[in-house]
Amino acid sequence: MNSMLYIAKRDIKSIVFSPVFLMVSSLCTFLWSFSYIKSLIQFAFNSSAPKVFNSVTVSLHQGVVTGHISLVNMVFIFVVPALTMKLICEEKNRRTYDLLMTSPVSSCQIIMGKYIAGLGASLLLLFISILYPLLSGLISEVNYSLVFSSYLGLTLMTFVYVAIGLLSSSMTRSLLLSVIMGVVFNLGLWFLSQGSTSSDNDVFIAVMEHMSVGDHLFGFVKGTFRWSSFIYFLSLSALFVFLSERVLESSRWR
Amino acid sequence: MIEVTQLTKKYGERKAIDNLNFSIQAGSVVGFLGPNGAGKSTTMKILSGYMPATSGVARISDLDVFENPLAVKSMIGYLPEVPPVYEDMYVQDYLRFVAHLKNVSSENIVSYVGEALEKTQLETVKNRWVGNLSKGYKQRVGIAGALVSKPKVLILDEPTVGLDPNQVQEIRSLILNLKGDHTLLISTHILSEVQATCERVIIINEGSIVVQDTLENLTQKNDTPKSYEVEVLRDEDKLKKNLNQLPGVIKITPMSSGFEIHIDSEQLSGEQLSGHIVGSGSGLVGFRAGKSPGLESIFQRLTHRKRRQDKQGASE
Ligand SMILES: Nc1ncnc2c1ncn2[C@@H]1O[C@H](COP(=O)(O)OP(=O)(O)O)[C@@H](O)[C@H]1O
Ligand SMILES: [Mg+2]
Repeated sequence: MNSMLYIAKRDIKSIVFSPVFLMVSSLCTFLWSFSYIKSLIQFAFNSSAPKVFNSVTVSLHQGVVTGHISLVNMVFIFVVPALTMKLICEEKNRRTYDLLMTSPVSSCQIIMGKYIAGLGASLLLLFISILYPLLSGLISEVNYSLVFSSYLGLTLMTFVYVAIGLLSSSMTRSLLLSVIMGVVFNLGLWFLSQGSTSSDNDVFIAVMEHMSVGDHLFGFVKGTFRWSSFIYFLSLSALFVFLSERVLESSRWR
Repeated sequence: MIEVTQLTKKYGERKAIDNLNFSIQAGSVVGFLGPNGAGKSTTMKILSGYMPATSGVARISDLDVFENPLAVKSMIGYLPEVPPVYEDMYVQDYLRFVAHLKNVSSENIVSYVGEALEKTQLETVKNRWVGNLSKGYKQRVGIAGALVSKPKVLILDEPTVGLDPNQVQEIRSLILNLKGDHTLLISTHILSEVQATCERVIIINEGSIVVQDTLENLTQKNDTPKSYEVEVLRDEDKLKKNLNQLPGVIKITPMSSGFEIHIDSEQLSGEQLSGHIVGSGSGLVGFRAGKSPGLESIFQRLTHRKRRQDKQGASE
């Protein structure tokens, strides 16, 4: 148990104090600031414009925050694999993997430690992004409960992305390939679960709707989430973490 | 302490080690000697629990390495071929991390890390990045990591490979200092390495053990020199011809300066030989017993066989 936390601590430092993290977080901040301010101005312009007959008033949450959430989610699809790429891949390249394999720690402890580290770094980035909607409370009225509900959803989504990133890092010795695989898996997750409408089979559509990442995530964004969404995200994460553990354990037996 | 029975490891169809048997007593320092590709690292990886054997048993302190991996791993300090150091950590933090991984209790961490730093003389660099250290220092950090948990057994895989002569000397004296505290198994492909640090030697070639004995026994068997290095001022060719007719002289090989005379020590003693050369009036200026050939000849025999096979392999 302890070893797991020591591994987590070491790895989170190693990610957060790396040039990659610095680069990624500044790029993200730049992108988010640009887009957030832009849509904020747009929103202010729209709401100060004279009301046209039977036009719908849009809240800040719908007009600005929702777009921000989608952007953050989209950025995470690409960025989380870049943060998690080192986790196992680098250990193999640098041969520090040998240290882990010959220390009295189980594969499960190693993987969990690394998962926590990847999660920590990604959530740090997520924390930066929540500052935007929170700070817009200074100039406008913000529905905080919806912001928190949305971020709960994003956090759960991040759980899945990190698990996928960990799996891709365990599957290859190349950092680049690890990132590419992670992105492909993340996109695949979205596309596969979105493909439901293109089928004729009713049962298939019903099942796929239940499986759709988007539906679950936007439940949180709209504030209408179900408890099953928790189970959905957590079990997806558990699945990928478990697969990573299997990959690591099987490498002991080669 | 270490007991290996019928240990075999196959990579695919190729046997990297084949039916190894040896045992090492607690507290001894054993050299694991063999040319490159002999199977030293493979054996050590199995002993350290890095990977399983294809068949056979490896026991450490009466515990099967693969039945009790966690218990065995906390008793072992292992330095792989490439030191497993994190470049992005401070030396001190790295050693703390390793100590934690090896289950050193929190109250002992500081003192254990301190001792490891002291033994490996890393105190001056303890607050530097591992990544900025020279190769020799990284190797020392690796050794410090292996011994930080005060393991009963220390397994060092070619600890001096790739270092310059001064660094090699430093690592050797470090190993000598470790004697007594641990059971040590050190692999190397350099003979003098074993002679400098070990009490016993296991020579391995192509996955099989060729010889295992104490260093003393192996060198004593061949204590009387079998060759002499000779340097004369003049008439070298005449002298050589002359010596060739002497009973007991087996052959004469040229050296960078002078030549080497191989003799049958039962027919001819060193004293007789030197007397003969002085008597010839060639101006003897250098006369020195050749290197004790015991271990060397065994080792060379097996490396030669290996080279020949390498050549065959290449021509196929
Ligand atoms: N991972 C591996 N896959 C296939 N063959 C290997 C592997 N590791 C080592 N070998 C082979 O096993 C033999 C023994 O290797 P090794 O134990 O590293 O030798 P040494 O450490 O004595 O130089 C060599 O012929 C080597 O080519
Ligand atoms: Mg080797």
